Amino acid sequence: MAEVVANGLKFHVQHVGQSRAAQDHEHGPDPSDPSEPRPQVVMLHGLVIDNLSSWYYTLANPLALHADVHLYDLRGHGLSEMPKSGYSVEDNVNDLEALLNEWGIDTPVHLFGNSFGGVVSLAFAHRHPERVASLFLIEAHFAVEGWGEHMAGSLALAAFGLDEDAVQGWLANNADRKLSRLAKRSERFLMNTSLIDDLQAEQPIGWLGEISCPTYAMYGSESDILDRAKELEAKVPNCELEIVEGCSHSLLTERSALVRDRALAWMERFD
Amino acid sequence: MAEVVTTEQVLGDIERMLIEVIGDDLLLDGPLSMETSFDEDLQLESIEFVALSEKLLDTYGENVDFVGWLAEMELDDIIALRVGQLVDFVTSAANG
Repeated sequence: MAEVVANGLKFHVQHVGQSRAAQDHEHGPDPSDPSEPRPQVVMLHGLVIDNLSSWYYTLANPLALHADVHLYDLRGHGLSEMPKSGYSVEDNVNDLEALLNEWGIDTPVHLFGNSFGGVVSLAFAHRHPERVASLFLIEAHFAVEGWGEHMAGSLALAAFGLDEDAVQGWLANNADRKLSRLAKRSERFLMNTSLIDDLQAEQPIGWLGEISCPTYAMYGSESDILDRAKELEAKVPNCELEIVEGCSHSLLTERSALVRDRALAWMERFD
Repeated sequence: MAEVVTTEQVLGDIERMLIEVIGDDLLLDGPLSMETSFDEDLQLESIEFVALSEKLLDTYGENVDFVGWLAEMELDDIIALRVGQLVDFVTSAANG
């Protein structure tokens, strides 16, 4: 398993697509000229039941035909280390900075953030504008008034498998083995770490107007956090918003083909 | 010319890799077959499938365009994958 130590923690990471330039190409010319630097993409997933596999199953491989795609399990998630504390957005921003340094990436990256990964991406772009080429946000979940109650509520539901969208769909498709392991891990995460306290302590962000990079934001029309969409569109200077009819907060998995097409089109703009 | 890789070899490799990822429980219901489904039969977690992919790349990466193969699949196709599809892909790609 690919593991890297950054910011004092062990992270599970996956680099998708880097070796492709060296591979044989049976389907036409090599799209990746080794002399041309490829775009660098980093993808950040959502909370608790999520991990890098949601990207791996959807956007990572298609995008890796055109870019170097870097995935990692956020602290506490997937196969990364689960410290007792340190789950604020800022902790996650520090992780990303340390990982980029560890990977030796000093050119601006395209950050893809899903749900909680969206707020980490936004916060990173605010803190390190020189290191971010663009933001591609799916159902970005950032602090507004009442954030603490909302996060705690949806996390508690997730822990018991009662959430109406993501968890419900996931659980419906997964039988005993996966369910029991996921439930145990989620319970450990929620009960044995400061995750909920740290997230409840997050303050509404007042710097959206300072985000300077191009930003594409997608939300489902039935999302429980649709208010974030309006706020991003109103405040982020260079933001394009797309609302997908009939979709919930699980936009990435519900409409993965559509999101993939948008992502590929987004990256083409930076060719 | 490179040595020809057989279906049986690849199936055996994948079985060994899966045991490394999820343990001996894999074989409780009998040996891995071409018909075995990763999701329904093995109940493989998605993060475990990623781990399996990594092992496949380590073993066959030079010859097998795993990224290109997965890139053409929809989410539902990946979830519905059977061992035989993976074996056939790896075998034919490795024999190029």
